Amino acid sequence: MKQIHFLSTIVCALLLSACGQNKDATLDMLGMFSPNGEVVNTRFANSQEYNAQRGEMHIDMQSDDYAIYVCSDSHITKKTHRNLDYFMAQYKAASSPKLALHLGDIIDAQENFPCADSIIHFAGQTIKDTMLVTLGNHDIYFKQWSIFRSFFKTSAYWFDTRNGSKKLDLFICLDSAEGTLGTTQTKWLENLLKEKSKEGYRHIIVYTHTHLWKLDGSQGHTSNMALEETYSFTDMLGKYGVQYVWSGHQHARQSVIFKGVNYLVLDATKDEEKGQSYMTVNMGSSIIYHYHTYPAL
Amino acid sequence: MKKVFLFLAAMIPLTVFAAGNPGFGERKYSVSGLAEYSYNTTWGHHANFDIQGLMPINPHFEMEAKMHLSTANVYTGSVYLRPKFELPVGELFIETDVMYRAVARNKIGDITAALGVGYRMDYVSVTLGMFGRVFDNWERDWHSNETYVVEPFNMLYRLEVFCRPQANPWNLSFVFTNVDDKHMERMWQPLFMVNAYYDVVEHWRLLFGAQCKPTGMFHLDASFYGASLRTGFSYRF
Repeated sequence: MKQIHFLSTIVCALLLSACGQNKDATLDMLGMFSPNGEVVNTRFANSQEYNAQRGEMHIDMQSDDYAIYVCSDSHITKKTHRNLDYFMAQYKAASSPKLALHLGDIIDAQENFPCADSIIHFAGQTIKDTMLVTLGNHDIYFKQWSIFRSFFKTSAYWFDTRNGSKKLDLFICLDSAEGTLGTTQTKWLENLLKEKSKEGYRHIIVYTHTHLWKLDGSQGHTSNMALEETYSFTDMLGKYGVQYVWSGHQHARQSVIFKGVNYLVLDATKDEEKGQSYMTVNMGSSIIYHYHTYPAL
Repeated sequence: MKKVFLFLAAMIPLTVFAAGNPGFGERKYSVSGLAEYSYNTTWGHHANFDIQGLMPINPHFEMEAKMHLSTANVYTGSVYLRPKFELPVGELFIETDVMYRAVARNKIGDITAALGVGYRMDYVSVTLGMFGRVFDNWERDWHSNETYVVEPFNMLYRLEVFCRPQANPWNLSFVFTNVDDKHMERMWQPLFMVNAYYDVVEHWRLLFGAQCKPTGMFHLDASFYGASLRTGFSYRF
């Protein structure tokens, strides 16, 4: 009976911590039992609405070769965002044509999107020389989708890079913040890949927050997509010639090739996390990537 | 991995030829057939058919074989070897499973092998263990860099709470697990099930089952992913 009492006390404490009163709360435990506000199909509909208003996004790199800076899981708070600051400084200092991507879990606790804004200076996922982001599970805890949306506008979109009128590479951002792509986004992805894979892009890259494989114990309690979705998603990506899938979520780097697709999982950018790093990718006729460790304090 | 196989190979003959008292819960030779309606957001609506055979070879060892055929073009076969030991209260068992899932619709093979320890009483059954998984691409080019995707360590868990004692002619149970007859999900992807049976006449048992599979529970952003309902008969010899 004592054990039951102890367990029920812990459960109650976790649930109370999830009620949104504590502004520093990082985990929304109620999310274990119900969605954190809008589900993926709704978020996708909202994103498509914005994408339609904005129009297609083509980024002229003015060169066939360019660099992409990629980071993930920065989990910033107002108090601590040293690594993300460093990442942005490195990105801005780079002289070659460049882009930056953030693979989700930008913030850790509530009310930190304004702080993220001040660091990464996004502009509605439209402007070159800024950071394009995808949505992580932490970004929507405590029903924060509307706040994310007010800053970043969309969580599922595509853009391509060009050199003048020459098409270079296609990038597709997917919303996997709740561990599934949902029905409408999956259908959209298949149609998009079917159409775009015939347009002669040099490389097709997909980036999203949730990683697909559980190769070891490094991922802690972070979950993946359901098995049925893993089979279907990986088959689709292989079928349409996607070369890389970049994701985060598990805070430990991984590399897997399956169905001809390279799945790269990034380390975290979170301060004080073991093994923090970001990735730079040289996009040319081939793709060459390197990991860079954040400097120690 | 080699050590695990050696251990299993050594254990099987020991348990097959062991003899002793009748097993807990009067498990009998049985053959079952079930039909299932299922839905998930990836495969949509589909139907499944299950054929299962239970062979309690002696009081200390039982085998189970299951075949799961799905109109989603997915086929699963599994074999369970279950050494068991009667205790003053309840029964201790070792769960050894091998499951192969042929995902023909996506040309993927998914093989899992599990080893667990369980304890069964009249009203509660608990199993804890580990399993490993290998994903194989049927279209893999042998000359490419691509190999199997191996997920060596996953936790297996199953907690089942029964409304009636196990020897009762009817029962209703609630299950929290990450494994079922057709797949072994990753440890952070739980399944919720309700199972029931009713002994209609001497040899015939009516079976019912329902399952709900959420997604993203451990993303702390759970939403509905899939559900299934099934019914069938079991003939107990």
